[in-house]
Amino acid sequence: MDTFLQVTSYGLLQGGLLALVAVGFSLVWGIMNIVNLCHGAFVILGAYIAWEMQSWIGVDPFLGMFVSAAVLFCLGYVIQRYLINLIVNGPVFITLLLTFGINMILIQGMNLLFTADFRSIQTSYGSNSFELGNIRIPLVRLLAFLLAIIITFLLVAFVKRTRTGISIMATGMDRGAARLMGIRARHVYALTFGISAALAGMAGTMIASIETFDPSKAGKFTLMAFVVAVLGGLGNMYGALVGGLLMGLVQAWAGQYLSGTWVNAIAFLVLIIVLIFKPNGLVGKAFYAARVEI
Amino acid sequence: MSTLSAVKTKRNWQRSFVPSVFGVIAVAIATAVESHLPGGELRAISTIFMFIALSQAWNIIGGFTGYASFGQVVFFGMGGYFTAVVMLKWQFTFWLALPLSGLFAAAFAVIIGVPLLRLKGHYFAIATLGMAEGMREVVINLPDLTGGGAGISVPIAGKFAKTEYLGDNGFYFLFLALAIFSIIIGTIVSRNKFGYGLRAIHQNEDAAAAVGINTVRSKVIAYAISAFMTGMVGAGYVFQQVTIFPERLFDVEITVLMIMMVVIGGSGTVVGPLLGALGLQFISEYLREHFTSMHTFILGGIIILAVILIPQGAVNYLREGRRTKNYSLLANIRRYRL
Repeated sequence: MDTFLQVTSYGLLQGGLLALVAVGFSLVWGIMNIVNLCHGAFVILGAYIAWEMQSWIGVDPFLGMFVSAAVLFCLGYVIQRYLINLIVNGPVFITLLLTFGINMILIQGMNLLFTADFRSIQTSYGSNSFELGNIRIPLVRLLAFLLAIIITFLLVAFVKRTRTGISIMATGMDRGAARLMGIRARHVYALTFGISAALAGMAGTMIASIETFDPSKAGKFTLMAFVVAVLGGLGNMYGALVGGLLMGLVQAWAGQYLSGTWVNAIAFLVLIIVLIFKPNGLVGKAFYAARVEI
Repeated sequence: MSTLSAVKTKRNWQRSFVPSVFGVIAVAIATAVESHLPGGELRAISTIFMFIALSQAWNIIGGFTGYASFGQVVFFGMGGYFTAVVMLKWQFTFWLALPLSGLFAAAFAVIIGVPLLRLKGHYFAIATLGMAEGMREVVINLPDLTGGGAGISVPIAGKFAKTEYLGDNGFYFLFLALAIFSIIIGTIVSRNKFGYGLRAIHQNEDAAAAVGINTVRSKVIAYAISAFMTGMVGAGYVFQQVTIFPERLFDVEITVLMIMMVVIGGSGTVVGPLLGALGLQFISEYLREHFTSMHTFILGGIIILAVILIPQGAVNYLREGRRTKNYSLLANIRRYRL
């Protein structure tokens, strides 16, 4: 029983991390119908920025993540405004290919700048953990989990309560009508992409302080974000959180009770089953499939 | 009436005659230069042929039918592993294993196609991608059959080897044959009623169903044809590489390359994937030789530029340009711009 609880708590914490990686990805996909294949590269770039901040001027990763977020926000804004907006009405393959091209450039750039060595952020409290009954909970993972939940709720508050957020939602629901109401869709799209990149940067910082990273891990994070976003469903800001927690639990349980690397196969099996029986994801909304584009 | 049918016959005759002449000339050149090329060049050109066949295969499901199969590599891997296993465990000859791998991949496509082809757009893309990743894990976790992560080797010498290793020249002709075969299949699909049905599904699936196309059956058949060719190419690749690993055989990069070649060349045409595979693979090899460290960098830049400037693909761009007498790239950018 203790093992089960330990594994479950680990799965939940890991799920929070996955949710943090996926929340920006899900936002961009839901609002703009773009599957952003360079999301993983943004995560890794965020990790490198936080790493540099810490090794140069000794900034704690929990502060450094705001620097990562700011830098990635600007990068994301520019990429969307001057590249992706040019082909945003194209067929599926076109947006996939464009973001894949950007991904290639980002990863190769990071390989040249930072080399392909494994890195991780070391902090004084990095290996701390505390006991809860018989369960051991690592401190940094718990903080990352709490951050994921706070960010999700902040994002919901942002899109529901602020003028900018409402304009983002409106553009996502019906771009044509939104533009007729005077919303600058190009700016809103770029803003959305910037926010997504900033969230990826924060997730990257958390990942850097929990495990090692290098540019070749970017693909894994993109894939994870993809899976989690689909599982949770689009059109609901809580989707990534639900999907991430489910994925974390499934992976943790499969890792504990199955041998070898079946854990990855199980993750995709769950994904395909959910897709077949609930094509809009667990908490997604259907209207995103049938919107009007002008 | 007779004039009309005469014109039609002449058109049809021209339509099949001109490309076949080009095709025969190209094959003749490919055969003639073969004996003059050094081994490295032979392997590079074999790879080009391999990607011609792969992009033609992807074009049938992705280009004609419009279903972005992002896990096409699963058929490459399944075909390849089928060949490796039957050649190693049951001493099949390669020439028997090759078509059987295609059929195995096609059967797998039918089984997964029935549920997966119900999904649309990005959801189909991710589900097929998940299928490819999942099958790789299955292969890794069945070490008794597939050798697992440690890889598996095809017997190429000794008494267990039923087929001698083909050598650089042999594989050159094998992949040339596969490329020709894929182009012929692509042409047949493109020209007959089935292919027009696929195009109709691409444009509007509900309307296609309304005019009497059995969309489910058409999609599954298209998926199976595409898988058949991909599986055969996978079989050829495995025999060429001798020792194979799941990571390489289920590498998502192979899928991405197929898609890039089709989209940049012009999806939904037969010439497009051919040109895309030739062009992209040539550029890629050139960059790898001359700009080793910046290779990916420049390739990424080329992809971005190509996608923004000619999103409909080179062949479709030229066709539309000839029809509308307008080759403006700026007008082209406006088409998909926000």
